[in-house]
Amino acid sequence: MTHFTWIDASIVGVYLVATMAVGLSVRKYVGKVEHFLVAGREMDVYLGIASLAATEFGIVTCMSSAELGYKHGFAGASVGITYAIAMFVVGYTGFCVKKLRDSGVVTIAELFEKRFGPRIRWWSGLVIVVGGLLNMGTFLRQGGDFLMTVCGIGLENLEVTMTVLLAGVTFYTIVGGMLSVLVTDYLQFVVMSIGLLAVTFIMMFNVPWSDLVSVVQERHGAGGFNPLSNPNLGWPFIVFNMLLNTAAVLTWQTTIARLLAAKDTKTGQRVYTATSFFFVCQFLIPAIWGIAAMATLEDGLITADNAAQAMPIFLSRTVPTGLMGLLVAAMLAADMSTDSSYMLTWGSVIYNDLLAPLRKAPWSDKRGLLVNRAIVALIGLFLFFFGLWYQIGDNGIWAYLTVTGTIYLSSMSTLLVACCYWKRANDWGAAAAIVAGAIFPLTYLILEQLPSTAVRAQSIGPYYSGIAAFAGAAVAMIVGSLIKPMFVTDSVSEANL
Amino acid sequence: MSATFWWVLTIICLVWYSTVTVYVGIRGAWDIKNMLSRLEHLQNAEDEGESQP
Repeated sequence: MTHFTWIDASIVGVYLVATMAVGLSVRKYVGKVEHFLVAGREMDVYLGIASLAATEFGIVTCMSSAELGYKHGFAGASVGITYAIAMFVVGYTGFCVKKLRDSGVVTIAELFEKRFGPRIRWWSGLVIVVGGLLNMGTFLRQGGDFLMTVCGIGLENLEVTMTVLLAGVTFYTIVGGMLSVLVTDYLQFVVMSIGLLAVTFIMMFNVPWSDLVSVVQERHGAGGFNPLSNPNLGWPFIVFNMLLNTAAVLTWQTTIARLLAAKDTKTGQRVYTATSFFFVCQFLIPAIWGIAAMATLEDGLITADNAAQAMPIFLSRTVPTGLMGLLVAAMLAADMSTDSSYMLTWGSVIYNDLLAPLRKAPWSDKRGLLVNRAIVALIGLFLFFFGLWYQIGDNGIWAYLTVTGTIYLSSMSTLLVACCYWKRANDWGAAAAIVAGAIFPLTYLILEQLPSTAVRAQSIGPYYSGIAAFAGAAVAMIVGSLIKPMFVTDSVSEANL
Repeated sequence: MSATFWWVLTIICLVWYSTVTVYVGIRGAWDIKNMLSRLEHLQNAEDEGESQP
C-alpha cells in the first residue's frame, strides 16, 4: 500500500508547474546557437555545481545505487567514492580539462578534429551518440517504474507516465536549450536535495543503524562492507569503476558540458572540485535506502529479477503522506534534470559533429536553432520507443549504465589524453582506439541479450569486458599511431600535420 | 572498510549535503540572476550595434 494521496499529488503538481514556468521563462534569452548549446558560456560556479549535481543524479542513478546497496550492502556504494576521487583530482589538477576548456570547443569531438582531422571528429561523434543514447535509453523506463511503485500507479499506466514525463522535459528543453537546463537544474537541485535528505532522516528514524549493519553482515558478511572482500565485486569492480569514473569526468558529454559552459577555465575546474563530494552522497544515500529495504521487506518479496524494485517498495511503505509528495517531486526533479541535460548534450554532438560535414558554410542562428530543436524532439521519440522495448540483464542497472557508457568513454578518454599529452598520437591510432573501445562493450551487450550466449556473457561479467575496452583502446591508440609512419611516406605525414 | 567507516561517512554526507544545499541554493540563485543580466546586456548591445548604420 502506498501513502501517495491527493495532498502529495498537489505537491507534485505545484513542482511540475513551477519547473515548466522556470524553463520557459528564459526563452527570450536564446537568440543564438551558442546560447542554446552552452548558455553563451556565462555559467558561474554555484549554478554549475547545482546543475552538475542535479544532472548526474537521476531516478536511474538512485535506482541503480539502491540496487547496489540491496545486492552488495555498503560495499556497493564505493562507486561514489571512486567517482568523487576522480572528479576532484581532475578538477584540482586540470588534467586534460584545462586544455579542453581553453580550446573553446562546444563538444569534445570538435577538439579531436584539431589533432586528428574531420573524419575522426565524425566517428567520435558517432560513438558518443550511440553510447550516450543507449545509456540514457533506460532512464525513462526506470523513472516510470519507480513512480508507479511509489505512487501506486498500475502497470497499465506505464506508457502514459513515461509519455507525460518525456513530453514535459522535451518541451522546455526544446524551447530554452542549455539556459532552460541550467535554471531548471537549479530548481531541481534544491527540491531533489531537500527530498533526499528528508526521506533519509525519516528512514533512519524508522530503521536503526544497527539493523542496517546487522542485515548487511547477515546477508553479505565482510563483503558487504569491503568491495574487495565481496565475491561479486572485488578488484575488477574497483578497477573498472575507477577507469570509468575517470573517463567520465574527462569526456562524458553531460559532465563536460558544464565545463564548456563555464565562463572561464578556472570556474569550470572549481565546479569539478566543489561538486565531487556530491557523488559520495548521491551513491551512498540511495544505497542505504536499498539496505533499509533489505532489512525490512519480507523474505521472498524481492528476487534477483526485480532487485531494483526493493527500494521503491520500501519507500512506498515507509514515507508518510505529505512527505511522499516531496519524495516524488524530488525524484521527478532528479529525473527531469538528467533527461533534459542528456537530450541536449547528445543533441549538441549530433548537431556540432555529425552534421558538420553538411555545413559547407556556417548556418544562420535561426536555422541552427531550428535544427537543434528538431534533434532534441527526435531524441525524445527514440527514448520513448527504446524505453518500452529494451530489457536490462540480470547484472542490473549499474552494470548496464557502465557497459553502455564504456562504448565511448574508453576510446574518447584515450583520444583526449593522447591529444593533450602525446605528440606522436595520430589519426590511425585514434581510429583504432574508437573501434577497439566500442567493440568490447557492444559485443558484451549483444551476447547478454542472446539466449544462446547469455550464460557465457554472465560468466565474463561487465567489469572484465569494461576493463578490456579501456585496455584495448589504449593499446590500439599506441599501436595505430606507431605503425602509421611505417606505411605513410614522410611527405604525406607532413602534409597531414 | 568497516561498519564504523560507513557510519562516519554517512554522517559526514548528511551534514555536508545539508549545509551545501543551503549555500549553493543561495549562491546559485545569485548566479542565475547575474547570468541572465549579462546575457540581456550582451543582447541589447548586439541589437544596438545592428540598428546603427
